[in-house]
Amino acid sequence: MTVTVSTGASSSSFARALRITVYAIVAILIYLIVLWRALVLAGELRAGSTLLNAIVQALTRFDAVGNEFLAQALQQTVNALSIGAIYALIALGYTMVYGIIELINFAHGDIFMLGAFLSVVFIGGIMGHNEAVTDIALLTFLIGGALLFSMPIIGLLNVGIERLVYRPLRNAPRLAPLITAVGVSFILQNVALTVAGSGDRRAPQIFPDWKIAFGGAQISVLLIFIFILSLALMLALQAFVARTRLGRAMRATAQDREASALMGVDANQTIALTFLIGGMLAAVAGVVWGLRFGYVKFDLGFNSGLKAFTAAVLGGIGNITGAVLGGFIIGFIENLSASLGYARWSEFLVFMVLTFVLLFRPTGILGQHSGDRA
Amino acid sequence: MQFKRLGIVVAAVVLVVGACGPSSGGLNKSIQIAVELPFQGSDKAASDPILNGVRLAVKDAGGSVGGFTITVPNSAVYDDALNGAHDPQTGANNMTKIVADPNYVAVVGPLNSGVAKAQIPISNAAGLLQCSPANTNTGLTKGADAKAIRTKANNYIRVVTNDAIQGPAAAAYIITVLKKKSVYIIDDTETFGKPISDSFEAEFKARGGTVVKHDSAPKTTQDYVSIMTAAKALNPESIYFGGVTATGGARILLAAQQAGLGDIPFVGPDGINDGNGATKDSFLNLAAAAAKNSYSTLAGPGTFDGKAAFDAAYKKEYGIDSTGYAGQGYACTQVVLDAIKRAAATNPTTNAAMREAVRAAGTDPSITYNLNVGTVKFDADGDTSQLIVSIYSFDPAAASGKGDWKYETQVDAAVK
Repeated sequence: MTVTVSTGASSSSFARALRITVYAIVAILIYLIVLWRALVLAGELRAGSTLLNAIVQALTRFDAVGNEFLAQALQQTVNALSIGAIYALIALGYTMVYGIIELINFAHGDIFMLGAFLSVVFIGGIMGHNEAVTDIALLTFLIGGALLFSMPIIGLLNVGIERLVYRPLRNAPRLAPLITAVGVSFILQNVALTVAGSGDRRAPQIFPDWKIAFGGAQISVLLIFIFILSLALMLALQAFVARTRLGRAMRATAQDREASALMGVDANQTIALTFLIGGMLAAVAGVVWGLRFGYVKFDLGFNSGLKAFTAAVLGGIGNITGAVLGGFIIGFIENLSASLGYARWSEFLVFMVLTFVLLFRPTGILGQHSGDRA
Repeated sequence: MQFKRLGIVVAAVVLVVGACGPSSGGLNKSIQIAVELPFQGSDKAASDPILNGVRLAVKDAGGSVGGFTITVPNSAVYDDALNGAHDPQTGANNMTKIVADPNYVAVVGPLNSGVAKAQIPISNAAGLLQCSPANTNTGLTKGADAKAIRTKANNYIRVVTNDAIQGPAAAAYIITVLKKKSVYIIDDTETFGKPISDSFEAEFKARGGTVVKHDSAPKTTQDYVSIMTAAKALNPESIYFGGVTATGGARILLAAQQAGLGDIPFVGPDGINDGNGATKDSFLNLAAAAAKNSYSTLAGPGTFDGKAAFDAAYKKEYGIDSTGYAGQGYACTQVVLDAIKRAAATNPTTNAAMREAVRAAGTDPSITYNLNVGTVKFDADGDTSQLIVSIYSFDPAAASGKGDWKYETQVDAAVK
């Protein structure tokens, strides 16, 4: 297929996808190199070099010792991509809902938490698998089953919350649904607290400890799986919003609800669809969270939700690509501080970057004037 | 949760109101020992055995000493957990309620040093005897930190030794018994976790070991895997975690395993020695198979004369094995009961005089106690003379295959 900037819908969106892919690869490579040289710098400082000497070494050292740090940087980059993917999946729910009804859905983090719990219920409870499963067919069945189990339930729960709680307040002053969302968040947390208890719950780590040796690094297959699964879903969402009738209805409703209603778009149905998709993506994030971190907890949604919301704001709330971008940027920042041994500063760094971005671009990195959301 | 807390408040108010009426001015012969521990999440796994130990001690004493009837009803048990983990502010609020109730002549607790730091100013000002079965932070009893939280004569004692002993004992064990020369340290930034890993680090270096790195990660950390991947690159031979299960213990171990550090010893303080693999929310329960190379310490004797008898009595009473600081909960209560007995002998005439007499008797540095854990005295700061730290390893076959801590050895710093 030739890539031309024509009026044909398919080739222009293909060109766009290609452009985004190239940007993404360049960004990942830049992160890899920055982290690599930062690790060299930190290593030199730890070995007792002066700051000046360490900086010189960070810029020039490409011997065996320097290359050892490359392996570590590679591993950390994959770590960053997988946590970034989780943040991005949750951030999509925040950004889509904001895009369409201008509501900051504070309960969304807790929707993610419930998704994680349901995956535990399916894999550990219903199927009874608690240890690593090396049979690929069974593993596919378990993970696929967990997704098919939790995605519809969580998606419909999100739709139900919209129908019962947010819809009656749709034309109320904007503070009313906002506070209601906080209330829903508390309700969901307390439901989980009552049912599952207040401690960590073990999530079955069924994904075996498979590793790919690459450039001296041991790259976990699970992390690559998480990244690819999330990326595929994000691309599918992009295509859905850009190419389908329902996607067009979502964009139209986001731009002007009254006008699109006059054109025959069912606003209630479209908004419900947005909540359904947002909830299902959060459920996917919950499933991969359990696989990766091996625990779930009733207040999991608070921290993850806060990070994902930050990601959505950073990328430009209301913008789907922006949410994905923001999720990965936050994953990178957290990973950078952890890699260099400053884990306790990660939140400080995240919010500092957010503040700086908002100072210069108050609508976020990709945020535009309110007409172009979703 | 909200309702539960409301219930506690209502119960406390009812108690205060109900108790004040008939007894004001006189001396109440039916008194209670308050228990103040966290009862949510992973902290609950550590607190339940202590509460059981307290009640067992009261039962063994026949429920009365020196003419006073002693009880520990559920209304006397306070929970300092908030949102699934211990919370200093909640602990301080509880202590305010406890000191306001004249039925209480003493309090056993808390579990966590951070909570104790918030409570001691309140219990000290009220002159209420407080015995902790588990606090090990050195600053609670010694130095400028201890002075800063006391305005009156000392009221606080503890039956476990402090982290200036517990941290170094782990360091000595790693170097001399496990024969590991380097360690990666990660702490939870809290009142307990940070200082104990500092004292661990100092001893490890003093014994010629290498500390490849000392990280701090608060309990809100989302991604421990990145941190452990960075640690893996430094090739440590062992890991030391300063903190408790509720602030990341098992999560860090799982992350270490993912990052390829699952085959080196993972050593933690008493904060991860909180029950066996069958105990809900305990370190071993959450870590499961990943705990295979785990070690933990307890800041008290792991074995003592009469340990078998104590374990048997505990099992008979509660139907489960005694774990963690159950024996220390018992020991604290023995101290309190003994203090009540000696206070009663001074013939106090009011509740206030009785409370002060109990405080003075309990903190008297000249008294030698014959406790279940051994013969101990308390110094003027409230620290025990027993400087024993016991070391535990993971035994996957114990507790019907669920795994449990197995007593390895104990180190007595007093006979070094």
